[in-house]
Amino acid sequence: MHRVLGDRRAIAILLGPALLVYSLIMLVPIVWSLGYSFTKGNTIDGFTGNGVANFSRLLDDPSVHESLWFTLTYAAVVTVGQVVAGYLLALLYVFFLKKSSALIRTLAFFPVVLPTVAVGLLFQKFFQVAPQTGPVNSLLNAVGLESIDFFGSAGSAFWVLIVMDIWRSMGFYAVLLFAGLVDIPDEVLESARLDGASGLRLIRHIVLPLSLPVLMSSLIFSINGTLKVFDSVVALTNGGPGNGTTPLTLYMFQTSFTYSDYGYGSTIALLLTVVCLLVSLVVYRVSRRDITEG
Amino acid sequence: MSLRMPRVRRARLSLFTAGTASLALLTTACSGGGGAGSSAAPKEFSYLSVTENTTVKTALTTLSKGACKSANDALPLKVETVPQASLDQKLQLLAGQDALPVQFAAGNAPALTQQLAKSGKVADLEKELKALGVLDQLEPAAVSTIKALYGGKVEVLPYEYNIEGIFYNKKLFQENGIAVPGTWDELVAGAAKLDAKNIQPFSASGQQGWPITRLVSTYLYRSLGPDALQKVADGKAKLTDPEYVKAAEEVAALGEKGYFGKGVGSIDYDTAMNQFLNGKAAMFYMGSWALANVSDAKQNKVGAENVGFMPFPAVAGGKGSIDQYPSNVGLGITLGAKSFDKKTGAWASCIADNYGSTALEDHGSISGFKVNTEVKDANEVTTQVRDTISTSKQNVLWFEALFSTKATTVSQTNAAGLVAGSMKPEQFMQTVQDALAAQ
Amino acid sequence: MAIDTPVKTAADRRPSGTTGSPRRARPSRRPWVKIVVTLLLVVEIYPLIWMFLTSLKSNDDYLNNSTWSLPTTWEWGNYSEAWTTGHLGLYVQNSLLAVLPALALMLLLGTAAGFALQIMVWKGRSLTLLVFLAGMMVPPQMILLPLFTVYFQAGLSGTLWPLVLTYTGTGLPLTVFMMATYYRTVPRELFEAATIDGAGILRAFWTISVPLVRNALLTVGLVQFFFIWNDLLIALTFTNNQDLRTIQVGLLNFTGDFGATQYGPLFAAICINVFGTLLIYLFLNQKVMKGLTSGAVKG
Repeated sequence: MHRVLGDRRAIAILLGPALLVYSLIMLVPIVWSLGYSFTKGNTIDGFTGNGVANFSRLLDDPSVHESLWFTLTYAAVVTVGQVVAGYLLALLYVFFLKKSSALIRTLAFFPVVLPTVAVGLLFQKFFQVAPQTGPVNSLLNAVGLESIDFFGSAGSAFWVLIVMDIWRSMGFYAVLLFAGLVDIPDEVLESARLDGASGLRLIRHIVLPLSLPVLMSSLIFSINGTLKVFDSVVALTNGGPGNGTTPLTLYMFQTSFTYSDYGYGSTIALLLTVVCLLVSLVVYRVSRRDITEG
Repeated sequence: MSLRMPRVRRARLSLFTAGTASLALLTTACSGGGGAGSSAAPKEFSYLSVTENTTVKTALTTLSKGACKSANDALPLKVETVPQASLDQKLQLLAGQDALPVQFAAGNAPALTQQLAKSGKVADLEKELKALGVLDQLEPAAVSTIKALYGGKVEVLPYEYNIEGIFYNKKLFQENGIAVPGTWDELVAGAAKLDAKNIQPFSASGQQGWPITRLVSTYLYRSLGPDALQKVADGKAKLTDPEYVKAAEEVAALGEKGYFGKGVGSIDYDTAMNQFLNGKAAMFYMGSWALANVSDAKQNKVGAENVGFMPFPAVAGGKGSIDQYPSNVGLGITLGAKSFDKKTGAWASCIADNYGSTALEDHGSISGFKVNTEVKDANEVTTQVRDTISTSKQNVLWFEALFSTKATTVSQTNAAGLVAGSMKPEQFMQTVQDALAAQ
Repeated sequence: MAIDTPVKTAADRRPSGTTGSPRRARPSRRPWVKIVVTLLLVVEIYPLIWMFLTSLKSNDDYLNNSTWSLPTTWEWGNYSEAWTTGHLGLYVQNSLLAVLPALALMLLLGTAAGFALQIMVWKGRSLTLLVFLAGMMVPPQMILLPLFTVYFQAGLSGTLWPLVLTYTGTGLPLTVFMMATYYRTVPRELFEAATIDGAGILRAFWTISVPLVRNALLTVGLVQFFFIWNDLLIALTFTNNQDLRTIQVGLLNFTGDFGATQYGPLFAAICINVFGTLLIYLFLNQKVMKGLTSGAVKG
């Protein structure tokens, strides 16, 4: 039975090209970059061996600690925000909107399609306090509150970033989770309702557990993306004020290319990769029983 | 029935293929230079710069069709631009491949230019220009500024030569009975008067950061003398020394009183310029490149005759003098070492002879090249600035001039915090000093 | 060859509610639903309207008047300026040339790999799948310098090939993962049966499995399309000259091309980009919604 499915030549033909491209474009450069992390220098001055000095520097560097902390908090908040907002929207689509659901789904998906440069500029103008009072500050003024300089402090800039990214991708997660919710068999819902469950209780005890697999996938997908955030931050604050909103990716980019220390930059990238791996592994284990089954 | 290679052989084959591919890649990695040939003579006068700088590329294009047509025929001009934020990255990548263009903007900070020069990527301009007989086409003031910035060597061409000072709105000054301040205290008093009448005293771009750190550095030059920041670069003084922190405190005090208006951290360069040219702010610390905007009737709503230029005031009891104008050569543009041949030399001579007048006439931009044809000034303030440039004897630099790239970034990104009050003066100086020490 | 596929996709099922069961008779009459939906629409759509209005303002208007206000003069010229001086036409072309081949290649290679990893049986396939997954963990900044070196040495620098190759390479992990996941729902016996009749496994892959995973292909295709269409970092790094710029890089360069930032043409360029992408999206929307709701991401 397995002779056909174990045909080596076929496997080579099917898998080979993908594996080849992947190795050349991703694997080899990764290993190469790893090599750089044991060196000091840059493309202009050349590279000299540096042993593990970069790694010990990594442990002591306060900027790395700040960036790591920022990356983790950002990823956590945005992931929860995106998935929860998406889930709520999905619930709205499935349970409360019937015919108009397709239109609303499409409209909510729009922001996903926008280029980051545009969204960054948009939110800069929306939250600005000078030279014009932006719409958000106008709203605050209208209810009697003072205008806030959102980009003047790392804390408020962080929240603008969060709002921007959640606004952008909640439509996407809504559709993803909608797919999972729609799969819940009608019969199960019927019988639960007949038993008297309704509204929140229905959601908590029936819908939630049954949509767990798709929730988990969304979580992994989201965490992976948010840990590596780059474009959004550069478009909105460029890591400012100071380096208050600098994630590891941006810090790595600056170190490698602006501060001309490519070796150390590679070390930072390695740190980020390890963090991604660990987090994904944890979530993955929790969600899947056996990844090789099937 | 199916073609099944023995497993071992198949594994070996795939290993072999993967191995060869990787080996090929690694060889290219280690072999370094000699790729798409830069040892061959250049086929075009390739010029890489930043998108934000339009004057130079437009002026060069004009020259390529006019005065430098013969040089252009031999080696056609080709302009490429990248956003300023990715210039350093591009330079690093190209330098690594030995593929730098014939002429390029040499980095966002002098430190990068010096790195490139040290590894032999930048032509020895003093020698080359002397050999071409055009070294005297460079204004002496410009040459001395360049040498001060680049460790005594002429590593860039003075496509721009700028002095900095405070542009002010004459009408607002007159209406409020403010005379041109000669000292820092008079300046602050004048600002207080304006603020009392609800006029924003200063316009500055906190988003860029450097307009604010310029105030700190020029204060330092006035109070401690023209070598104030060289001492820091040499390690003889620290930014955290009390006399240095005082400068930060004075500037922070201006911010605290609200003299920069609201949300200074989000004001970008164009907005700050616009605020001044629309009469919304009374004073604007900027360099002479802003004359182009001042002379543009579309941008300048208060009128060029209403704009004055004053030197940064003196500090009572300070060692510096009011005639020491902070100066710079704009974005340093240089010529590559390997690609400097006869044709490049022809271009260089032509530029040295003609750029000065072309830039001034077409764009109101003052460069460090001598102006060989008579150009009429657009307005009074331009004449004033030009005269000041030609008579200035000693010039000073700016805050980040002698900093590493990291310290430059740290300083510029934290400047807004200094005037917004979120960063105390000692803290600001400490942060920058730490970044300086880190390299 | 009629194959009785036991695979039921949710596309065959309507979203619950149109089955006519009496349970959800009231929802649309609840006022709070209407409020939530209106709020949602405002939050989603208002920024787009704002962008459109801003694109019609002159620079003066934008800098000096309130952000809420309508344009004082309707500068439709901003759009033609964006297209001509801003070379938007060229950039659109470059984006298409870089993105579409990469997408096609990615889907083709990814599906084949997914098939090999999920349906075919051989030792080491779970390890290989993990190797692909590991690629999703890596920040793209890490591979920029080595790739730049390789492309330069290979003489590809003056072309769009670096973009196409890099997009394909970086898109493969996710594609392989999603296709492999989707193939889980397709039983192996299907292919056993097919090959008994003499068709090779490769033909079975192409003629049988690909149509089955059509929905997943569309989903992954759309998701990846927007990832790489909106990519900035890779495009910025590997485009060495103006003729190769993609739209996103072009947008960044608008600042200087006009001297002081001309916000009108900048927003006009953004609007052209956005509305163009929206058109593509709307066109594919039907298919994708079906694809997503057919269990492509069942976990």
